[in-house]
Amino acid sequence: MSAENFRVIGRGVARVDGVELVTGRAKFAGDLRFPGMLYAAARRAGIPAGKIRGIDGSAALALPGVRAVLTAGDIPGPNIIGILPPFDQPLLAAGEVRYEGESLALVVAESREAAKRAAAAIRVDIDSWEPILDVDEALADGCRKIHPDGNITFSKRLVKGDVEKGFSEAEVVVENTYYTSFQEHAYLEPETVVAVPGGDGRVTVYASCQSPFHIRGHIAANLDLPASRVKVIQAYTGGSFGGKDDVAAEIGCLAAVAALRVQAAVMIVHDRGESIFGSNLRHAARIHYRTGSRKDGTILAREARIYLDGGAYASESPFVTMKALIHAGGPYHVPNVRVECTAVYTNKTYCGAFRGFGVPQVTFASESQIDELAAELNMDPLELRRKNALRAGEANATGQVFDRSVGLVQTIDRVAERRDQLPPAAAEGSSANGGRWLYGRGCACLLQGISNGAEGIDVAGASVQASQDGSVLVGVGLTDMGQGSRTVFAQIAAEVLGVTMDRVTVRQVDTDSVHDSGPTVASRSTTVGGMAVYKAAREVRSSLVKMASLMLKCDEERVLLQDNFAVLAPRADNPEARIPLQEVATAAYWTGFPLMNLAFSRAPDARFDHETHQGKIYIAYNFGTHLMDVRIDRLTGAVEVLRHLAAHDLGKAINPLGVEGQVEGGALMGFGMAHLERIEHEGGCIQNANFADYAVPSIKDRLPTETIIVEDPNPTGPYGAKGVGEPPVAGTAAAFANAVAAATGIRFTRLPIRREDLLAALQGRDRGPAEETG
Amino acid sequence: MLLEFELNGRQTRVEAEPTQRTLDLLRDVLGLTGTKEGCGRGECGACTILLDGKPVNSCLLYAAKLQGRRVTTIEGLAAADSAADSASGRGAEGNPPALHPLQEAFLSEGAVQCGFCTPGMILSAKSLLDQNPDPDVREIEEALSGNLCRCTGYGKIVKAVQKAAAAAQAAAAQTAELGPGRRAASEKSGNGAAVRSTKAKSAGNAKSDRRQRGASR
Repeated sequence: MSAENFRVIGRGVARVDGVELVTGRAKFAGDLRFPGMLYAAARRAGIPAGKIRGIDGSAALALPGVRAVLTAGDIPGPNIIGILPPFDQPLLAAGEVRYEGESLALVVAESREAAKRAAAAIRVDIDSWEPILDVDEALADGCRKIHPDGNITFSKRLVKGDVEKGFSEAEVVVENTYYTSFQEHAYLEPETVVAVPGGDGRVTVYASCQSPFHIRGHIAANLDLPASRVKVIQAYTGGSFGGKDDVAAEIGCLAAVAALRVQAAVMIVHDRGESIFGSNLRHAARIHYRTGSRKDGTILAREARIYLDGGAYASESPFVTMKALIHAGGPYHVPNVRVECTAVYTNKTYCGAFRGFGVPQVTFASESQIDELAAELNMDPLELRRKNALRAGEANATGQVFDRSVGLVQTIDRVAERRDQLPPAAAEGSSANGGRWLYGRGCACLLQGISNGAEGIDVAGASVQASQDGSVLVGVGLTDMGQGSRTVFAQIAAEVLGVTMDRVTVRQVDTDSVHDSGPTVASRSTTVGGMAVYKAAREVRSSLVKMASLMLKCDEERVLLQDNFAVLAPRADNPEARIPLQEVATAAYWTGFPLMNLAFSRAPDARFDHETHQGKIYIAYNFGTHLMDVRIDRLTGAVEVLRHLAAHDLGKAINPLGVEGQVEGGALMGFGMAHLERIEHEGGCIQNANFADYAVPSIKDRLPTETIIVEDPNPTGPYGAKGVGEPPVAGTAAAFANAVAAATGIRFTRLPIRREDLLAALQGRDRGPAEETG
Repeated sequence: MLLEFELNGRQTRVEAEPTQRTLDLLRDVLGLTGTKEGCGRGECGACTILLDGKPVNSCLLYAAKLQGRRVTTIEGLAAADSAADSASGRGAEGNPPALHPLQEAFLSEGAVQCGFCTPGMILSAKSLLDQNPDPDVREIEEALSGNLCRCTGYGKIVKAVQKAAAAAQAAAAQTAELGPGRRAASEKSGNGAAVRSTKAKSAGNAKSDRRQRGASR
């Protein structure tokens, strides 16, 4: 494929849904209106733990405009949701309160305000329990069990080689413990759904969501209806980043139950506070890490023990546990690796999927270790990474060997090359500032497994249909939440069918119309969804080519489809020898050639030992190298990022403009994690569930990110592509921590490293001996 | 209460509740759902509208305050030269309207991802360019500091505003060369950002500067 002269692939193109978005015409779920539509709001527990004695909705029901108050007993089905076993989260709790955001009752009313007012008027009687607030407490002997099977959500090990032997041969060993905080997705659109009873025994749910099929399954189960009676349509979705999965299922189910009860459309919109404390966060982590090497820098052994605070419900903790486990060893060729990872329940807001999925946390720890090792060895940090970098043909931490598309060394070399073109960080005014500024340069390497891998079957479906006018309609079972996958799918269809982009429409996901393609997660849309579009488009193409060969009276091999024409190959510049695709498509229709195809793309199955996590796990990895230059104001702790290089091997950039957007946006999210964002808990309740107190990066915090695209083609992706949505988060966060360490000479072991943390550490150091934080 | 104000170039009379937020009047009563609610507390800027040309958070503004004022929402931007249709956001016959240079630039620069912050972001940028046709990066940052975006990392948004400013300047220069007879026609074709921009820089953004919060981080 790669030898072809592409007309659409590899070009930076504007979003196919962009006009709707810049004009305000795009309908997000909250923009939908239906006759007689009602609004629902939940009564939240407001305390983190306790036994529910009673819920009395009579006062709420008596308020003006209130139509119904629902409690657990009103859910027709099992009143349980969850991404995977253990399914442990009730829609409306009846027995225990496990976190502050627990929904106890749902009010349906004529306006949002009436629903909120009535929800507050519901009287609840809860015997408050002492909340279990951290991992150590939850794992202590005799601790109260948050769920019947105890407080360990999931625990796994990865074992490669013999770590004891590796460490015994090591000449240098570094060891440290690292911490990361909870992070909020903070998509600008709060979670929203509308459920509409169909009058035909069906119910349609419009949702701001990430994985419509997952939501459909939960709604059907909780309504006690066959899944075929439920239709989920993804509305325009204002960001998700992993966040609109569990919670969209939760409010999708609640809205559907309410809509069928009152036989009217019901909308649920979270306010910003609910969006923060009432939906999943990124896991906080504690990572104890040890790395051993020879004096020449050859890494012999790495060992990590990871605890993830998963909050009150399992959500995606089991898969995050596995992903953290698999990635903790880093993108290096290390013969001996042992990792243990345990996710733990606490009485806090639950944690689940968030862009990076456990990888940003472990990458911060792993890459801090590499820098600490480089310091011990007195080696250049980037050179140490290059020396140990995973190469094609070498086994990664799970023992998997890729013979292609391992572009890590290329990303290191491209960053080094660019770095050498630039002045060193310290040169910028360091002598003129009277010692006020501390300059530092940090780098980090990372890998991120693409698509589901160890998380199960990896399939996606797509439909491609050409109309008689030669225009193309594409449907894919994976959602665009802003990352630009509809545009990538349109490019693939346009390239295969030889049409211009304006002739392609990619529909929104509607569970009636496309294959269940699993969740839209794990940077898999371009790779797996794109492959399905490619396959379906190839089938439609074959009908058009057959028809064109009949019309042009030539062999099929000589027919090219390009720029909305079927062209006879050797005489492409001869207007006589080309036919508008519209005429070909019309003729194909009347000849009876199929112009629609439903294709299913199935990635090779993961095969691995579940005790050791050794085996073939991912279909590909994205590899990256980041470099960041910072300066820190010694007097205020303020950090300025002077330079940020972000190189990623993504196989093939189908839309380079979209790639830059993913890298820049992911980078700022990683920077937020590393420097600005921290969920503040007190007694198990979040204290900063708003945008005034929770510091989402603003335009003034933006990074000077320079995206460097490395293309080492991936044989399992369309045109060699592999995903890039998640990886920039981890690279940026880890590079920032290393840059700060280089600037200050202090190794910070806890993210975020905020301005006040920096100032306190610098003042502490200036007063006396170097002080470790953490 | 009966309100009368200019909405996207058209005089509008509408009945509103005394305590109704402007955001709800626009979205629920007038059907202009391009104005988004992200936080309801004036912290994210997704609900930004222009009130007499200046950006305000419509979630914090009582509808009663609109009396006699001039309101621009995202629906009024593309169709700015077609006042008859702009209140509904529709161009003639429902076709895509001619886009404002800022809208064009946001598309071509990749400054839009999920698009939820985009209407507010574009309106804040429009207010800036109307007052200051050639802003530097600091001025762009200042003007957009009340609008959060979680997708793009903001770099492409800055580029888009610079591109729109440059396009408007180029168009204004061209207009000046055309002479009075053709200037009116050119003005109508949607380069309003530059031609209305002769006023001195205003006293400041009507919205709070998020940086003040940032200083205490």
